[in-house]
Amino acid sequence: MLFKLALRNITAHKKRSSVTALLTAIMTALLVFSSAWIDGSHDTMIQSAVEIYPGYLQITGKEFRANPSYDHLIFDAAAIEQELAQNNDIASFGARFESFVLFSADEKAVGGMLTGIEPEKEVHLSRLSSSLKKGEYLSADDTNQVYIGHELAKRLKLGVGDEVAFVGSGADYSFAADNLKVKGIFQTGLFDFDANSAFLAKGYFDRIMVAENYATHFIVLPKRPQQAEELAAAIADNIGPQYQSASWNQTMAGLVKAMKLDSIFSYITLGIIFIVIFFVIMIYTFLAVFARIREIGILRAIGTTPKQILALLLLESSLLALISVVIGGLIGGAFAYYFHHNPIVFAGMEEQFKQYGLAASAMPTAFMPLVILRDMVVMFGLSVLSTLYPILKVNGFRPVEAIHHV
Amino acid sequence: MLFKKLLIKLALFGLVWAVVSVLPLSAFVDSADEIIKKVEYNLNGKTAVVELTMVVKTKRTERTMKMESYSIGNNKSFIKILYPGKDKGITFLKVDNSMWQYVPRIEKTIKIPASMMLQSWMGSDFSNDDLVKESSISEDYTKKLLEETDEEYRVELLPTEDAAVVWGKIIMAVSKMYYLPTTVQYFDEDDMLIRELAYTDIKPFGDRFYPTRWLMLPKEPQKAANKTIIEISNAVFDAEVDESYFTKRALKRYSK
Repeated sequence: MLFKLALRNITAHKKRSSVTALLTAIMTALLVFSSAWIDGSHDTMIQSAVEIYPGYLQITGKEFRANPSYDHLIFDAAAIEQELAQNNDIASFGARFESFVLFSADEKAVGGMLTGIEPEKEVHLSRLSSSLKKGEYLSADDTNQVYIGHELAKRLKLGVGDEVAFVGSGADYSFAADNLKVKGIFQTGLFDFDANSAFLAKGYFDRIMVAENYATHFIVLPKRPQQAEELAAAIADNIGPQYQSASWNQTMAGLVKAMKLDSIFSYITLGIIFIVIFFVIMIYTFLAVFARIREIGILRAIGTTPKQILALLLLESSLLALISVVIGGLIGGAFAYYFHHNPIVFAGMEEQFKQYGLAASAMPTAFMPLVILRDMVVMFGLSVLSTLYPILKVNGFRPVEAIHHV
Repeated sequence: MLFKKLLIKLALFGLVWAVVSVLPLSAFVDSADEIIKKVEYNLNGKTAVVELTMVVKTKRTERTMKMESYSIGNNKSFIKILYPGKDKGITFLKVDNSMWQYVPRIEKTIKIPASMMLQSWMGSDFSNDDLVKESSISEDYTKKLLEETDEEYRVELLPTEDAAVVWGKIIMAVSKMYYLPTTVQYFDEDDMLIRELAYTDIKPFGDRFYPTRWLMLPKEPQKAANKTIIEISNAVFDAEVDESYFTKRALKRYSK
């Protein structure tokens, strides 16, 4: 009976109902899509930042991350390698030796990072090989052939096949220097990284830097990247206290924090919009209910209790909210789904992204049904809540007052 | 009588003279500026040719290097590595605030960029900047005499406003006998002691005295195990030094 009445009331005031419904639906769609966008873009940014070079999980000497000196190296890389090879949760791993050196093509010298990598393993661990721009990627038996960042090559005025010297210090602090030949040039899109990094095959690197069986890092690719943290803890238990095993959450804490902060600001902005919308719906319901005040007065006069009227009006607003939220959720969800599979590409925005240390210009939205459902529930609650005050207010009138209300 | 008066006058005169002649002694106590100038002159001479051994100790390793250094005043210097064999022939040239390096293995002269000046020099606890900026203590810092004991002056050096220097404060203890530094403490801008350099084993070289053992101790906790010792085995001061050492061409030429 009540339900029928409510439905009749909704359909009888078509214009009024559809405006309220439209408003709620649009807001729901907006909320659903915004959260999909915020989550999606942050995940993409973090993922690309992690996968380009730092990796999901790093193993270093215990104090190396706080104080990256040659005193805190991994001095028995073979032992770590053996340990990691036995772990079934690891998809792939490899050693790196990072060293700060001076590169020099003519007399002018440029400081940068020269790193020994295991070229075949690195293919799975980072985007170095896929970022090849010119020439060739490294192979394990390369000697003095260097794979160099595009911006660094530009600063040193180098092309593929050109010679570049470096001076630095070996792992035993002795003087290390060599002439290298550019084998390939890469560009990950991370400006700082491309402007400071060059790579050698670790076999040769170890000989000239006196770094055999040493490493600054082991990079580990978990079989399930989302479980990097648990894997890091498990590895830490196995390799002993002289080493540190850290997931990207720790190694890239700055970026993770920046993303969280960005989310907070986005939600604050959304929140402000929602407060405005909340009051719009409230005022609109106020007008709608007051327009029906005589009708309510008559209902009261013929014996309907205030409780019944409250139930009726709440049912009306809930029904309307439910319909709008479902429509809005579907629309927002559809957009989230579409842009999840067809990421939004920001051509020309690369520069801004790079300032964040991000090398992605295509941003897929996150499509997570549970999150969409959460947003729909929030919107439903909000829109019912916004009608509560006008309904209670109008229900407070006495029947005679209501009938004579103008 | 007259004689007696004359005697008294003479005595008075003598007394005054004595007082006057003693007074300037205390008035002539060196100002901090002069102390530092003397120290710089005593350390650098007009020219200096020095043979030295540098031992760098870290938590893990100990390395010994031998080298010879030629310098004119404190603006120009040339250093050549003699030992170990692997590094033999590496040369460094410093002229004013610029520094170059020649590495025979790659047959290349490299100018050390300004951004690298704070990096360790040859893996030691000295930085490139130490080699270059040492010269500017008398120009870049204001000096204040903190304390004077029977043996030492303690001078505080604070960077002048527009000086491009690394340290927030330097405190130098200077031996009164030799006008040579005994310890130098380097503080950062937050007044934290970063490192301490001790000069000991003063020996005569020709007509001057010179500290033959320099010990640099970093005071930062993460470098607690490190130290660098420089031992001077021979030094000749104020002899003629060939100007040709202080050109970029010399880096390669004198490398052999």
